[in-house]
Order: sequence, then structure tokens, then C-alpha cells
Amino acid sequence: MFRLNLKIALRNLWKNKVYTLINVGGLAIGLASCMLLLMYVAYEWSYDKQFKNYDKTYVVRLNSKTNSGVVGYGYTPSVMAEEIRQKAPGVAYASRSSYPGNELISYQNKNFKKGAIFADAALLKILDYKFIKGNPEKALHEVNTVILTETLAKNLFGNEDPINKIVKFQNVEPLKVEAVIQDVPVNSTLQFDYLMPWALNEKLNEWVRGSPGWGNSYCLTLMQLKDNKYFENASGFIKNVFYANQKNSSNEGSMHPFSKWHLYDKFENGKSTGGKIDQIRIFLILAFCILLIACVNFMNLSTARSEKRAREVGVRKAIGSSRKSLISQFMLESMLLSFIGMGIAFISLELSLPYFNHLLDIQLAINYNSWEFWCTLIGLTIITGFIAGSYPAFYLSSFEPVKVLKGFNVAGGSSISVRKVLVVFQFVFAACLIVCTSVIYQQLNFIKNKPVGYDRNGLIELPLLGDLKSKAKMDLAKEQLLKSGAVSSVTYFSQSLNGGGNTTYDFSWPGKGLNDLNLINFRGAGDDFTKTVGTTLLAGREFSSQFVDTTNVMINQAAAKIMGLKNPVGKVITWGGTPITIVGFVKDFVMESPYQNASPLVIYHPTTNYSYLLARLNPEQNVSRSVTQIDEIIKKLNPNFPVDRRFVRDDFEDKLQNEKRLGMLSNWFGGFAIFISCLGLLGLALFMAEQRKKEISIRKVLGASTVNILTLLNKDFIKLVAVANLIAFPLAYIIINHWLSAYSFRVAISILPFAIAVALSFLIAILTVSIQSVKVAKANPVDALKYE
Amino acid sequence: MIELKNIEKYYANKGVKSYILRHVTTSIKQGEFVSIMGPSGAGKSTLLNILGMLEEPTYGQYEFMGEDVVSLNERKRIELYRNHIGFVFQAYHLIDEMTVAENIEAPLLYKKVPGSERRSRIADMLDRFNMVAKSDLFPNQLSGGQQQLVGIARALVAQPSIILADEPTGNLQSAQALQIMELFKKLNEEEGITIVQVTHSEVNAAYGSRILHLLDGVIKEDVTVSQTV
Repeated sequence: MFRLNLKIALRNLWKNKVYTLINVGGLAIGLASCMLLLMYVAYEWSYDKQFKNYDKTYVVRLNSKTNSGVVGYGYTPSVMAEEIRQKAPGVAYASRSSYPGNELISYQNKNFKKGAIFADAALLKILDYKFIKGNPEKALHEVNTVILTETLAKNLFGNEDPINKIVKFQNVEPLKVEAVIQDVPVNSTLQFDYLMPWALNEKLNEWVRGSPGWGNSYCLTLMQLKDNKYFENASGFIKNVFYANQKNSSNEGSMHPFSKWHLYDKFENGKSTGGKIDQIRIFLILAFCILLIACVNFMNLSTARSEKRAREVGVRKAIGSSRKSLISQFMLESMLLSFIGMGIAFISLELSLPYFNHLLDIQLAINYNSWEFWCTLIGLTIITGFIAGSYPAFYLSSFEPVKVLKGFNVAGGSSISVRKVLVVFQFVFAACLIVCTSVIYQQLNFIKNKPVGYDRNGLIELPLLGDLKSKAKMDLAKEQLLKSGAVSSVTYFSQSLNGGGNTTYDFSWPGKGLNDLNLINFRGAGDDFTKTVGTTLLAGREFSSQFVDTTNVMINQAAAKIMGLKNPVGKVITWGGTPITIVGFVKDFVMESPYQNASPLVIYHPTTNYSYLLARLNPEQNVSRSVTQIDEIIKKLNPNFPVDRRFVRDDFEDKLQNEKRLGMLSNWFGGFAIFISCLGLLGLALFMAEQRKKEISIRKVLGASTVNILTLLNKDFIKLVAVANLIAFPLAYIIINHWLSAYSFRVAISILPFAIAVALSFLIAILTVSIQSVKVAKANPVDALKYE
Repeated sequence: MIELKNIEKYYANKGVKSYILRHVTTSIKQGEFVSIMGPSGAGKSTLLNILGMLEEPTYGQYEFMGEDVVSLNERKRIELYRNHIGFVFQAYHLIDEMTVAENIEAPLLYKKVPGSERRSRIADMLDRFNMVAKSDLFPNQLSGGQQQLVGIARALVAQPSIILADEPTGNLQSAQALQIMELFKKLNEEEGITIVQVTHSEVNAAYGSRILHLLDGVIKEDVTVSQTV
């Protein structure tokens, strides 16, 4: 029975090739999209969960009260880890580590700028990195040592054994290779290429040695509990740790689960309010909606073909088939289709993964040994087959044999309306996706083109490393760059222009309240700062070599507002007790998040201690020529370091990564959803045309033109799409309104995305339907009429 | 075998009842060959459908092999189809996706006849209808008469006690029709299978043993055919 049913199912599929193609194609795209999105979701979900005791591990956070609410930081003072280790209840390990930065590491003549972290030895207890060589117990104890990851070791040493070899850090410090560990998994939030002991950080950096107290937060503190039953007690301890050590501290600590570090990365008022997880949820919904659309397609097409199948049902019932066996036959057909779809989905998944990875800059791969993958794939296929097959199976098997055999019109009223509802559902989804995608792109463009307060085009940034750290070399570089004509002006900056930086409560100004908790950013800048970055000087002057500016500062509008200064130039404020004079007043410019207002900023003018050189390219000269010149000059001055010149514009765009990714994904998968919907529409058009063949022939005999017929056939579908759009609009409006509300700078919702959705869905619908209806409209009426 | 008492069938349309069958009372015994005749719209096919339990009468009593079947549930009805009733349709109604052999096999599958017996019965049928060479062809590769032979073979293979045929020769040329009628007669006489057929043709009706004349839903005449014709 099963074999015969299978054989008949196959013959049926073969006989109706177009339907089979549409069905299998739709299901395959649906399944592949769903799997791809699920893999992506699983990938994001698996972040930081590869470590043995990840569930007992926590990131210690610092919540700082300011005038505008609680501001949270993922970084804590360097004494935190030791305090926790000694005093917190139920703690197993606590470690501190530095902010990862790209630093030069070299062996013989091989130089690499790779991610470096200074960390306590306890980090290796908390996160069980897999040691390939070396002793995990001894690692990170001696000062001048390093742990390399496998890839870096291979790059540096080739096939040599790296253990106990000496590498050079920042071209000065000799480090003994103590161990080699497997590469840090890509889905791990803490990324680095080599690990060095914290003691080395103290040895190399004066500011680390000099700030051991509770006032400076620059360490990532991880802690692991012996058991989660201690969580209550431990978190109580962490909450008060600042207060216990600093009498007037208003700071509070909190424990953020390690496994939520990646996905729940948004904090408001010190509380976790989601973050990436919201996006992941969207993708999860998208995954199942696409699959559902494919299922709907299948149902639509199968029931549309019911007239053809109805006779078979009648005959089978008359010769003794029970309803159950009919249901199982139709189910078998749908399962068969969905398994063929699965095969194609699997192949397309394999083929599209590299492209998808490239698009999102991630590394997804099908793990052939993972039972989860196969279970999901086969489970999804069976569920798809079941959902897709259920409606046709129950609908078709319910036919009364006599009615069918007498030749009544099965596809009468009710089944049509069910199909119409299904098509409307598909197009509601498609229209929603079109609207959302266009709004995401609008928002992306809006943020991209929003004035940031400075001119980021033609602005380049160079880290000052090695020899360039010295004042003499720095000034020499400036002089040579200007002389070469490659750049028109040069300045220095204490941080990357796009990066975060230092904040303090230490500024005082006349009239500052005792409980004023405004954090103020401070950055050091060289001469010609406003000229180089292109920001506007509202009043006063900028730092220049003609003056001695060591006790002078510039402030921005936000800072002036907080300090209550109408005309700040010439006013004196204090910084940690030292009086400083405001000589310049600059317009706000965006440094960190383009989604937020500029924070208050004080720019001071140190003689040295800059970490970046900013230069404006000479607009008169070809960009690639200028860039080559710059690279040459820097290489000559600082031969031991690779030239790491970057365009500020590119760095800025990196900040839009999340939105770009969302836009890209909704674009692709929205496209797929629309495509599948089109397939469904095509199928329905095929059916309608078939069903109305006779009517059309009669109309033609009566004198209707091809255009008349086309209008007649398209009219119904246009109505459906119009209804779908009407339903989709409020829905889409709610969704995008919700999405946009997370941004303080957002594009106004305009009519444009909706217009695009209307135009696109109508265009698609008309094109799809016309492919079929033209054929029918042009057919010879005799062909349809002669059988009657 | 079949007892009909006061069978009525009507369709109510906007309060107006349009009768198809009125007060049909008759009985058909095992081994009879009954032809139902009458002009178009007389209710012939409806009567046959009621006999075949494809349609329910509005009123009346119907006993099939001593069992009241008017309110029979679907499972029991399917049992009757599997074991006692074979249908032959005017439009043959073969399943297009199945070969000749598979079409004949289908009822046996539903009846859960074991594989070896299925094969021998199919071989027997093919042999009997001279269709061995055509067993792997699909219905659309056969002529109308051949398709109807397959249809009859399919009805017979489950060894039913009654065959209900709705204008079995309606779509056939006269020579083929003759062949089918001869076959029915032979089945009736040699195997004792009860046959009820609906027909327009006097010639076909003459093959039977009894003719029911229907007019406007009422049995006008019930004649026994003298076999000498």
C-alpha cells in the first residue's frame, strides 16, 4: 500500500511538473531561509556558552549615578577582582583583564598587530581555554610571559615549537612564550590573540601602576561562583562593594550573567533591557513566517488542484478506500514534496553559507556531526510537510464521492475564499516586510547623513606607536606630512575620534552643586584641532603653537550648558583643584554613538601623551596618491610598526553595523518571502485560468478582446493585494514605530515606504498573474469548448 | 438481497420541493439482472446511487442483505463497498496515475488481500479480459471500450455480490457496447452475480432479466424479460 501510494505520488508530481516545481521551489526556499536564520540565531545564542562553568560566571558591572540617571559600565576598578576574591561569599575565582587592543607582537622579522589582553591567572580558571602546549597551572604567573593562540603561534613560528621562545611586545619588551591555546572561539565575546600577565601591564604602563584605587574603572572583572545558590549573597556584596570601600561613593556594582553578556548588552538605568536579543527574536519570527508562507503556498496550490484530484477521491472512496487512507495518501505526497524540498534546501544552504558569512562577517558552518542540526532540519521538514499537507489532506478527503463523480464543481465558493484568505495573508506579510525594510534603510541613511559636527570625509587617523610616541618624532611626522602636500592640516588626539574615552566628576565650575553628578568627557588635542577635523569654533580660539596652552581648555556646547556658561570664553573652571581657563568654545560633535546627543566635553592641550594623529587629506590632490605618501612617511619614521592608517569615515560606518546587518537580512529574507508569495500567486493564477477557461472562451466567442480578458483575470488578484496592503499598513506602522522608538535620532515615518510597498506588491502581482493570464487570453476558444 | 420501501428523494429549493423519486418500492433478489430505464431526468441515476449508498434517500427504508443501511456509518458502508458492491461508471473513472494492473489491484489493497493472492487475482482478471499485454499501460493509452473493461475488471476483482453500473456503455460504440453486455450476461448467468444497470437502450435492457421503467421518479412498469428475446 505504502509503496503503491509512493509510486502514485511520484507519478503525480512528475505529471504536474509546473506545480511540483512551484511547490518544491517554495518549500526549498522557505526551508533554506528558515534553517539559515535558525543557524544564525543558534550562533548568536551560543555566544560564551562554550566554557565549562559559563552558567556560574558573571561580569561585574559598575552603575554610576549621574544627573541624567544611572549610567552603566562594563569596566570596574583594578582592585575589584582581589576584593571579590577575598570577601565575596561563595566565590570560586575572580579575575581582571584589560580592554582588548591591537598591539604589535614580533618574532624575528615577523610583525603582527594582534588583539592583546593583560589578565590575571585566574582568568584561565574561569574560562577553560584549551591548552595545546604549555602548563595551564603555571601560565600568566611570571611577568614577562605570553600565551599565544594557535593561529598567531603558527603565523609567528611556522612549524617551530614556540614554547620558551622569546617574542617582542611593542618592539621593546621581550616575552617568553609559555603556552599555546586553541584559538578563541568566534562566538566568544572576549576576543584576543594573545594573553599577557596583569603584572606586565603594571610594569609597562605608568597609569596602571598609578591608579590602583576605587576611582578609576578600566578592568573587565569576571567572577565565578562555587555554586549559583550563592548568587543572592554575592550580588548583595557586589552591590555595596563601592560604598564599603569609598565612603561617599554613589556607585553600585552588579553581576551580569556571562551567558547574557553578548545578547543582553543594552542597559537602561543600570538594568538590563535587552539588546541584540531583540534582533534575534525578530529573526526567529522571520524564520518561521517564511516557512509558514511556503506552507501556505503549498496548501493553496494543492487545494487549487482539488478539482483534478476530486474525481480520484470519489473513485477511491467508491472502491472501498477509507478516509484515513486518503488522508495518509495526501500526507505522503506532501511529505515527499517537503523532503525533496529539504534536499534542495540543504544544497542551497551549503552553497549560500559562504556568501551569508561574508555578508554578516560571521562564521557559520554546517556541522555534519551535530545531531541538533539534523534533528532541526528533519523536524522542520516533517512539520512543514504536515502543516502544508494537513489542509489539502483533510479538505480533499472530505469530498462526497457521488457529488464528485456526478461532476459537480468542487472548487465552488468556500474553498476559493480560503485560498483568498491565504493569499491575502502572504501578501500582508510581504507588504509588511517591504515597509519595514525601507524604513530600516531610511533610518540607516538618516544616521549616516546626519551631521556629526565635523567633516569625516577625507579625514584619516593614525595610531601613534613605537617611535612616534616621542614628541620629537611626532612633530617631525607632522612637519613632513604637511610638507609633502598629502595633507592640509594635522593634529593629535588622545583617543580615537570615533572611540570612547575618559570621563570624570573632577571638573568644578562656579555654581556647581554639591550633589552634581555630571560625568564630563575629557580629551587631549593638539594644535589646529578644529581646523583639521572640521568642527566649528563658536567663540574664542583653538590651541595653537603661538600660545602656551597647558592650562587652557576648549569646551563644547553640551559642557557649557551643564556648567551654565552663556559666554564660556575667558571663564575659569577647576580640574581636580587646578584652575584652567576656557579659551575656545566649539560646536557639539559626535564621538561615540551616532544615536545619542554629544556628551559634555572638555578638550585640554597636553604636550605629549597623545595616541592618535589626525590629518585632513589635501583636497587638491588625488586621494590614493596622498595615502601612499602618508604611508611612506610614517613607515620611514616608524619602521618597526605596520602603518595602521584608517579613514575616520570607515570607522564611523562600523558603528552602523547592527542596522546594516538588520537591513541586509530583512532585505534578503524579505525578498525570499516575496518570491515565495509570488510563486503562490502564480499557482493560484494557473488554477484560476484553468478553471475559467470555458468562461473565457465563451467571452472570446462573444467578442471580448485580449485586453478585456486580461483585465478580467487580473482584477480579482489586484483586489486581494489591495486588501493585503490595507491590512499590512497599520501592522507595519506599529512594528516600525516600535523599532524606531529605540533611537533618539530617528527618521520620521513618511508615506514613502508605504508607497513603495503598494507599488511593488501590485507590480509583482500583476506581472506574476499576467504570465499565466496572457496565455489563457490568447488561447483558441475552440480548445476549451469542444469537450463540453 | 435488496429491499426498498417507499423511497423518496427530493430537493427543497426556496420552499418548493422538487421530487426526484416518489414512493419507490421494490425488491431485487440475488442473481437478478435488472435494468433501470426511463427518459432523462426520470431519477434512474439517483435510484442507482441510493442503491449504491452514494446518496441517502430523504425518506424510506432500504435494506441491503437484511441490514438497514439508510443510517449506516461510514466505516460500515466502506465495509460493504469492499466486500459486496462493485461500481461501473459511464465515464469509467479509472485513476489516471495508475496502470491497468494497479487500477485493478486498488480495491484488493483496501480489502487487505495478501500480496500473493492479489497477484493471482489480477493475473486472472487480465487473462479473462485479454488484457495481459496492456497491464502496464495507463488508462489514457487505452480505447474507451478497453477502459470500460478495466473498469469492470476492477469492479469484479473484489468478488462482489452485486455490480451497480451507471450507463456502462453510454460512451462506447455499439460493437464495444455489445461486448460489455455479453460480459455482464455471462457474469450473471455463470457466476450468479447480481447486476443492476441504468441504461437508455432497449437493446441493452434486453440482456437483463427484469426491467424497471421509471418516469418522473415513479416506477411505471416492472417487467420480467423473457429470455427468448
